[in-house]
Amino acid sequence: MRPTVFLVDDEEPVRKAVSRLLRAENIEVAAFASPAEFLAAYDPKTPGCLLLDLQMPVLNGLELQKMLLGKGGGLPIVFLSGQADVPVSVQAMKLGACDFLTKPVSDDVLLAAVRAAFAKYVQDQVKREKKAEVATRIATLTPREREVLGHVTTGRLNKQIADDLGTVEKTIKVHRSRVMEKMKVRSLAELVRLTLLLD
Amino acid sequence: MDFVTIIWSVAGTAALSLGFIQLLAWLYERAKWERLVFFFMTVGSAGISFTELGMVRATTADEFSNYLRWLHLPTWIAFVSIVVFVHLHLRTANLWLGGLAIGARTVSLIINFLQPINLNYREVAGLKNVSFPGGAVSVIEGVPNPWMLVGQLSLLLLVAFIVNASWTAWRGGNRRSALVTGGSIVFFVLSATVQAVLVLWKVVDWPLTTGFFFLGVVAVTAFDLSRETLLAGRLSTRLHESEQRMTLAAEAANLGIWIRDLLHNDIWASAKWRELFGFGPTERLEMEDVLRRIHPEDQQAVRKIMEKTLVDGGRYDAEYRVKLPDGKIRWVSSHGRLELDEKGRPLRLRGVSRDFTARKSIELEALRHRNELTHLSRVKTLGELSSSLAHELNQPLMAILSNAQAAQRFLKQEPANLAEVREILADIVLEDQRAGEVIRRLRLLLVKGEIQQKPVDINTVVREVSKLLQSDLLNHRVTLKTDLAPNLAEVTGDSVQLQQVLVNLIMNACDAMAGNAVGERQITVRTRDAGPSQLRIEVSDMGCGLPETGPEWVFAPFNTTKGHGLGLGLSVCRTIVTAHGGTIGAENNPERGATFHLTLEAQK
Repeated sequence: MRPTVFLVDDEEPVRKAVSRLLRAENIEVAAFASPAEFLAAYDPKTPGCLLLDLQMPVLNGLELQKMLLGKGGGLPIVFLSGQADVPVSVQAMKLGACDFLTKPVSDDVLLAAVRAAFAKYVQDQVKREKKAEVATRIATLTPREREVLGHVTTGRLNKQIADDLGTVEKTIKVHRSRVMEKMKVRSLAELVRLTLLLD
Repeated sequence: MDFVTIIWSVAGTAALSLGFIQLLAWLYERAKWERLVFFFMTVGSAGISFTELGMVRATTADEFSNYLRWLHLPTWIAFVSIVVFVHLHLRTANLWLGGLAIGARTVSLIINFLQPINLNYREVAGLKNVSFPGGAVSVIEGVPNPWMLVGQLSLLLLVAFIVNASWTAWRGGNRRSALVTGGSIVFFVLSATVQAVLVLWKVVDWPLTTGFFFLGVVAVTAFDLSRETLLAGRLSTRLHESEQRMTLAAEAANLGIWIRDLLHNDIWASAKWRELFGFGPTERLEMEDVLRRIHPEDQQAVRKIMEKTLVDGGRYDAEYRVKLPDGKIRWVSSHGRLELDEKGRPLRLRGVSRDFTARKSIELEALRHRNELTHLSRVKTLGELSSSLAHELNQPLMAILSNAQAAQRFLKQEPANLAEVREILADIVLEDQRAGEVIRRLRLLLVKGEIQQKPVDINTVVREVSKLLQSDLLNHRVTLKTDLAPNLAEVTGDSVQLQQVLVNLIMNACDAMAGNAVGERQITVRTRDAGPSQLRIEVSDMGCGLPETGPEWVFAPFNTTKGHGLGLGLSVCRTIVTAHGGTIGAENNPERGATFHLTLEAQK
């Protein structure tokens, strides 16, 4: 699926002009007059980025950003602002914004930001997919195996784990090899790296 | 010619010549009717003298009787003249008594001409000569006519009339006139009556000398009339002196005096006035020349005031600039009054003019300072608005830039997408106009100019301000509701300054609601008619309300509830509204927040 720029700006002339520029660069655009319109139409499966005006009535850009964070949305956000307001831009970046542009924005800057956001989306997507893979592998573990996994990844020896769980070292060894098998890893280092992805 | 002829003729001519003098005086000053009446009195008196001369020189009884009959005509004239003169002169006469006297005299005159011989004799026997100082004179022998009593009654009525008038005048305080005029006339009339009774009833053999007694009346009244002329002369000397004194005072007070005679289209002005308007001391003054000295910008207004005064009468006050021949400007205030004649026709305009350039320049200086302060306060307000105004301007700029750069791309395509480019260009033009509009609105507020006095539509002012503040309100998350009365009358004033007031009030309202939850930040601007020639503008918020120090406190300079404010905003607002002849006030709303309201004079 082609990545799409979701443009949210309350001013129609700006929406129209920016959409035109992106279309001229053969970039898919979906424009919305308000955050509410965007939220109603947005399908989280669509790849792309959010090009978001900061000053809007009812719900402004920052508020939409927080809302999307709460929902765990994956769209990188490029902010567009009518004025260079340092505290606001710092806040937006802290909340994970991809870029913060001040209107009027030249085409190179805008397109570069959009492309960077797209790239970030792809990176994020790879991470998200890996995470999902790890999560499905963990889901196959029995509760006992998950317990053992927890102990193994914190670097404890089989003997210590057996003591902790009140069983014998041999049983732990069996659980451990089952975990390695279900998690499709061959070394302890590999196992630790996978579990770290989830945190 | 014998002596008898001479003395009677002299008596007659003397009376007449006195009469002619007063007739001339009357012709010159028509309002003095006493003079004309006096003239008739002398005609009567002279008539009596000349008829009496005929009598004393008569050679036959018939001739004598005939003269005697005609004697009653000048007597009647003199009689009526005396009554009218006393009435005009003393102004205290009993008109009823006067009318009765004239009536009796007139009846006697009619009887005189109806009787076979005359009023005085039924039968005539003949003439006889008696000696008289200056020679022999004729007297008549005959039977007296009892109808004569009517004539003598009229004389007594005349005496009663004069005594009554004199007495009233005496008691009224006019003692000199009562004594001299009234007293003398009574004396002479009474003497004439007594003499006539004695002669006519044949008690003594004397000729009638009524003419001499009347000459006495004429002399006394002539003296009285001339005294007025003498007094007038003395008065004119005093008048001249008082005029000099007034001129001195006027000059000390820097007042220029002028009089415009509307009948002769002539202007007289004092030396000070001529200096004020830059005219030479002897230069002839024409109204047009004077008006041309007035500054072109003020000329129309002064002409209007002049015309209005001539039509409506009364006083006028005008302040205007005079442009002297050397180009210097002088502020002059002029106060004038229209004077009418008895019939209410405009006679002359009279007034004073004063140079008040010094005071005016202080006034103008104060106005300039006020203007400066208003402007600074406006610039400061716009400074606070600048970030949101930048947003306002950056929106169209963003649209233009992106459109233009999109167009460049569409042109590079093979084939070039010209349809799209055409659309883009149309949009660019629109956006450019929008940006221009923002700048125009800004520049209007930033420009430092003279205060305008033009018709202003308040609803337009509210709409302009709401556009100007659009993005600032957005930043404050405030919604602005407008409730504008349709067909609102216009006010006279400066739209920029009125916008400034509204901007201030709305920005204050925003600040007052900073602590509110986002959904509870609403400002309502209302306009409506308030009475026949007033309109009201209200700005209501849902904020923290007025400080406890009261609504007046916020309008005083240097009082502020904001950490960053100078405390001048509302004080400047009040200055502006007051300069527009309006009022501004504030009060807390019953439930929440405050309302600021201003009342302005509507244009008729």
